[in-house]
Amino acid sequence: MTIALQGRRVLVIEDESLVAMLLETILEDMGCVVVGPESNIDDGLIAATGEASLDAALLDVNVAGREVFPVAEALRARGVPFVFSTGYGEAGLPEHWRGHPTIQKPFTEGAIRDALMKAMNISLV
Amino acid sequence: MLLDAQLCYAGMNQAYLDVTHRRREELLGKPVLQEYDAGPGEEAAENNRQLAASFEKVLTTGQSDHLAVLHYPIPIQNAEGETIYDNRYWSATHTPIKDESGRVTHILQHTTDITELERLRRQVARLRPEETTSALDSLIGGGMFRRAMSVQADNRRLETERRQLMDMFMQTPGFVAVLNGPQHVIQLHNGSYGQLIGHRDVLGKPIREALPELAGQGYYDCLDDVLATGEPFQGRQSPVQLQQTPNGSLTTRYLNFIYQPIRNDAGEIIGIFVQGHDVTETVVAAERQKLMIDELNHRVKNTLATVQSIAMQTARSHDDPRTFAETFQSRILSLSHTHDLLTRSHWEGADLREVLEHETTAHGLHRLTLNGPNVALDPAMAVSLGMIFHELATNAAKYGALTPGEGRVLVDWSVADLNNPQLAIQWREMGGPAVAPPERRGFGSRLIERNVRHDLAGAVQLHYRDDGLTAEITIPLNKEAA
Repeated sequence: MTIALQGRRVLVIEDESLVAMLLETILEDMGCVVVGPESNIDDGLIAATGEASLDAALLDVNVAGREVFPVAEALRARGVPFVFSTGYGEAGLPEHWRGHPTIQKPFTEGAIRDALMKAMNISLV
Repeated sequence: MLLDAQLCYAGMNQAYLDVTHRRREELLGKPVLQEYDAGPGEEAAENNRQLAASFEKVLTTGQSDHLAVLHYPIPIQNAEGETIYDNRYWSATHTPIKDESGRVTHILQHTTDITELERLRRQVARLRPEETTSALDSLIGGGMFRRAMSVQADNRRLETERRQLMDMFMQTPGFVAVLNGPQHVIQLHNGSYGQLIGHRDVLGKPIREALPELAGQGYYDCLDDVLATGEPFQGRQSPVQLQQTPNGSLTTRYLNFIYQPIRNDAGEIIGIFVQGHDVTETVVAAERQKLMIDELNHRVKNTLATVQSIAMQTARSHDDPRTFAETFQSRILSLSHTHDLLTRSHWEGADLREVLEHETTAHGLHRLTLNGPNVALDPAMAVSLGMIFHELATNAAKYGALTPGEGRVLVDWSVADLNNPQLAIQWREMGGPAVAPPERRGFGSRLIERNVRHDLAGAVQLHYRDDGLTAEITIPLNKEAA
């Protein structure tokens, strides 16, 4: 459990259920509340714009053959911090999103926690 | 005498009419090569060819051409109305006349009749055969005439070489064109160039008029630069939008090419030599390969994350490392089997029955009945259903109808609603021990439920009945429409 992330509502977008289940397990272990997980861009957009309370999001870049960036834009417009997850690492991101917190598949719990805290601008003193 | 670009008479003076014994109205508008032939004799065909070649050279190069000596008899009618030939020798100059854009519109033929000179020379030679070069001979220009004949022979040889070079140029597999002057008038191009531009008639046209679709693509500016600076330009895998079919939409081709300045004798840049290859196939193949490598990477990393997830979830429900290893391995092997099936079809998909058989044969074929039509599954569906059937079969072998005994499993499936096809699968266990809903939902049942709902956008119901477990799964086959 990570105190800083305790009770945070984290939206997960990931098309493969087993990977989504892994993220869920890891996030729940850290004390987060998982919103979703959503398996496609359309449902992801509905959640990103419609969910009343979101503290952060974990976005798979390639969701069933479509790119997740519209959801990223919607979250940015709302001021919700997010982390990309991708098989390619940061090099797989288009120019526009380079430098954004990113985790690479397969994940470690530590990498997810660090990326989330970086995106949410939380630092441990 | 003046010809137009189609080599038809456009005008002539009286001297020409006098020598040829023709009337102006007979000739105007007629093709010169039809009105005249070189008469009888062995050399006639060659003489005709030389004259035609000289006209063609002027049209394509835009430069004057000289025929030092041309034997060209003039047909005349004698008193009996028969055609006889008056042997004549000519020296001819063909000068191009161009319009503002540099296109050759007319050819001016200036001929000098040198027949008398030749006759006189022959007379002298007959009278004094011992003197090959007499004073008179040289005085009246016999030597000059011989020199002229030799120049003409050289010209013929050069013309043959030029023709051979031109043939090579026209037949080379790469595209080739010559652009002339500041407007880049297309002076000539070969077959490959013609194919590239959709066989449009562009000869003699400035490039901006000939290939208007290039506007805004940078090629005009590039040509202007080469002409202004004299620096050759090389393009590599350069994309170009071309009109390759009349009224069709523009197609993108990728070209390797060079623009090489052409200089005249004074060193001034007068045109551009364009040469290159269409490398579209190579570029497209490289792009496809990159896409495939990216896709492969995506799948490998996703598969690793899936394996990671299976490991983590399996570990949570197994305290004993031995049973963990056993369950984990069998899940990984099931995933691997489905991949084998998909590899056989080059990852295009798999048939539902094949996926089912793959996951259940280990438990004894005689205890399972599979009944349903052929259903083509895309790779993602095949992977998901493979995992689902693996969990159902493993569960049945552990707690249900596939435990040692007389139990059986019936799997029936059908496809309903052909406009929006729905696959309905029923997994029915019977004859096994009585089952009850588990107190705690294990990874297996969570995997089944999540996979159907999340990956397959479908619905699943698990019924734990006294006579055995029943799973009812419905999946839209066309996810886009769902």
